Amino acid sequence: MPVAEVKPDVVPQEEHSPLKEPKRDVPISNNVKLIPITNQTRELQTIIREKNTSRGDFVFYADRLIRMVVEEGLNHFPYTPQTVITPIGATYEGLRFVKGGCGVSIVRSGEAMEKGLRDCCRSIRIGKILIQSNEDTHEAKVVYAKFPEDVASRRVLLMYPIMSTGNTIIKATRVLRDHGVKAENIILLNLFCTPKAVKCVTDAFPQLTILTTEVHPVAPNHFGQKYFGTD
Amino acid sequence: MVAVTGRDPPSSASSECSENSEDFGGGTIDVQLEFETKVETPTSPSASRNQNKTHRRERTFSASSNKGDPPVIRTRQRTIYTAGRPPWYDKHGQTIEPFVIGICGGSASGKTTVAKKIIEALNVPWVTLLSMDSFYKVLNEDQHEQAEKNKYNFDHPDAFDFDLLIDTLKKLKEGKRVEVPVYNFVTHAREKRFKFMYGANVIIFEGILCFAHKDLLDMMDMKAFIDTDSDIRLARRLKRDISERGRDLIGCLSQYERFVKPSYDLHIAPTMRHADLVVPRGGENTVAIDLIVHHVHAQLQARGLKLRSALAEIHNDQPMPTSLHILPETSQVRGIHTFIRNRDTDRDSFIFYSKRLMRLLIEESLSLLPFKQIIVETQQNLVYEGMKSGAGKICGVSILRAGETMEQALCDVLKNVRLGKILIQTNTMTGEPELYYLRLPKDIQDYRIFLMDATVATGAASMMAIRVLLDHDVPEDNITLCSLLMASSGVQSIAYAFPKVQIVTTAVDPEINDKFYIKPGIGNFGDRYFGTEAISYS
Repeated sequence: MPVAEVKPDVVPQEEHSPLKEPKRDVPISNNVKLIPITNQTRELQTIIREKNTSRGDFVFYADRLIRMVVEEGLNHFPYTPQTVITPIGATYEGLRFVKGGCGVSIVRSGEAMEKGLRDCCRSIRIGKILIQSNEDTHEAKVVYAKFPEDVASRRVLLMYPIMSTGNTIIKATRVLRDHGVKAENIILLNLFCTPKAVKCVTDAFPQLTILTTEVHPVAPNHFGQKYFGTD
Repeated sequence: MVAVTGRDPPSSASSECSENSEDFGGGTIDVQLEFETKVETPTSPSASRNQNKTHRRERTFSASSNKGDPPVIRTRQRTIYTAGRPPWYDKHGQTIEPFVIGICGGSASGKTTVAKKIIEALNVPWVTLLSMDSFYKVLNEDQHEQAEKNKYNFDHPDAFDFDLLIDTLKKLKEGKRVEVPVYNFVTHAREKRFKFMYGANVIIFEGILCFAHKDLLDMMDMKAFIDTDSDIRLARRLKRDISERGRDLIGCLSQYERFVKPSYDLHIAPTMRHADLVVPRGGENTVAIDLIVHHVHAQLQARGLKLRSALAEIHNDQPMPTSLHILPETSQVRGIHTFIRNRDTDRDSFIFYSKRLMRLLIEESLSLLPFKQIIVETQQNLVYEGMKSGAGKICGVSILRAGETMEQALCDVLKNVRLGKILIQTNTMTGEPELYYLRLPKDIQDYRIFLMDATVATGAASMMAIRVLLDHDVPEDNITLCSLLMASSGVQSIAYAFPKVQIVTTAVDPEINDKFYIKPGIGNFGDRYFGTEAISYS
């Protein structure tokens, strides 16, 4: 594997000591954001990355991290102010979620994130894209795509946990664009990505929002295999 | 006297139970906390399973179940709790030091009778009666044989385990739970089970030599000596030993002459000078008992127990404490709040959205625990510097009923988490919280505790739960209180009383209404979640 030579170099030292305060809303660039990073999320990342983690633990802790990313991603959905009356008759100035979001998972690893989304939004519509790479040319090819009919008018949570090169995301975004979805309405929910992939995607689609837990020179591999137990 | 009259034994704040299970429910005063089980000694799993079967909790005497009765009885400006345990600490969370009455006197002088009469006349809900008889030393074989021949001196100070006694009384005075040995007068050994006792508003401590040690005298707030004529005492003693304990006259008399009388003259009678008052004729002396009761009442009145309303009033307009951590208010958090606060939200959605919020709350609370740095090898055989929880074992403790709704969220993120439960109910007549039931892991002091309650208004129930945990020796800074919604006065009260307890919530509301509901609030969370609310809130 060529990535084996890459050394984690540019990471500042304090990254490795326990955090006093969680880091919230850390924008890497305008459209690349980390979920709030706490020692807790770092523990989850560690377990997911670790070699000796059992499959049961891998799924359990990946699900927890996915849930966090989903919750954070939902904050990009639209809302309007709403005032409600509480049971004791007082008013509460709240807000109401506005319909108009949907999820799109990239088969297969992206599907691991569907449960997390479903747990937060009981009846959200979820589309799917199947992209396969040609073994020889490494060219990504869309095999299957199914979206809600009005996907063009929705905000899309694009689900894909590991992004090493960005090729798949670029391809998926193109498919969505072909169905009328604007890149600024796409939020990529991601667990781990590489700086290379981030650059690649933001160069191609500067308007697309990337939400991730870690940008690191090496992203974990075989996520889908480990999650679904087909390794 | 209301519920105690005619019943035996007297009201006392003690319980005997297994596995730290403490059931505060029950019928009338005299049965609260009075039940008995064997303490399980953990052996092999199969053995303990068998024990579970055979050693179920049994009541030593039947509880008259007065379910329909009101939870309090008011007499002469006093309130008697007939079910749960009322607060035993003040608004600052500090235990109110119990009033300790020492009753000394010769054998068969009527100490227990006086103690019972005081309990009846006192009319306070929580009285612990501690007897020196529980603290006889365990006899070895020789001594046991001597005892059989009436040749062991049970009336000498050496016969008592004063160290354990002093330690027990000290802990009771601090409001902590104690294990009182159960002494068997046939085998002259301590039984395997214990009697659990709690410090109460009043502790009555009686025994023939209870004035014999300076440390004991120092802990007593009032000392009474029962001075009954020696002829009467001997007569009573003979009657009791012969007719109740099946002993013979000669043996009893020889023991009396040999040990009881000399010990009285040498060790007991001289301690009379320590007494604040001497009660001649024992239990018949109603004037003396009345005097004692009057004095205790005056002392108790000065300490006061109006907790909840006191809590609602204090600490306004102060900055929020540093031990408070509020979940950042994102649009999702506010949107979820809008759903669950709205009185028109159906239960299906109410449950769904409160569960989502609980998950966020628990994840946030976990992130505040200590972590340590570790280095792991990744799947690609690279070195990765990561984090690992340094918090140790975690135990969730939910405050029933609403706190129980959060257990699932905790289990969803922590594998193998242990769960304890505390039932605290608000007494509808006094508005005060009362402790009814608690079940915690044996080694609760070794865990980091996530104390869970859905809503915190005045903080009275949470404070009681924290107090319970502290009384079980959990360090204060090992407690995290997790709550979906809190009123600012509740936050202030808890943080003021227990500054080291970490408080995590998703929102803090400014006010409490006159029914102690948070305003604007969320209504009665438990009722809405479990669907037990009255037909309509309006």
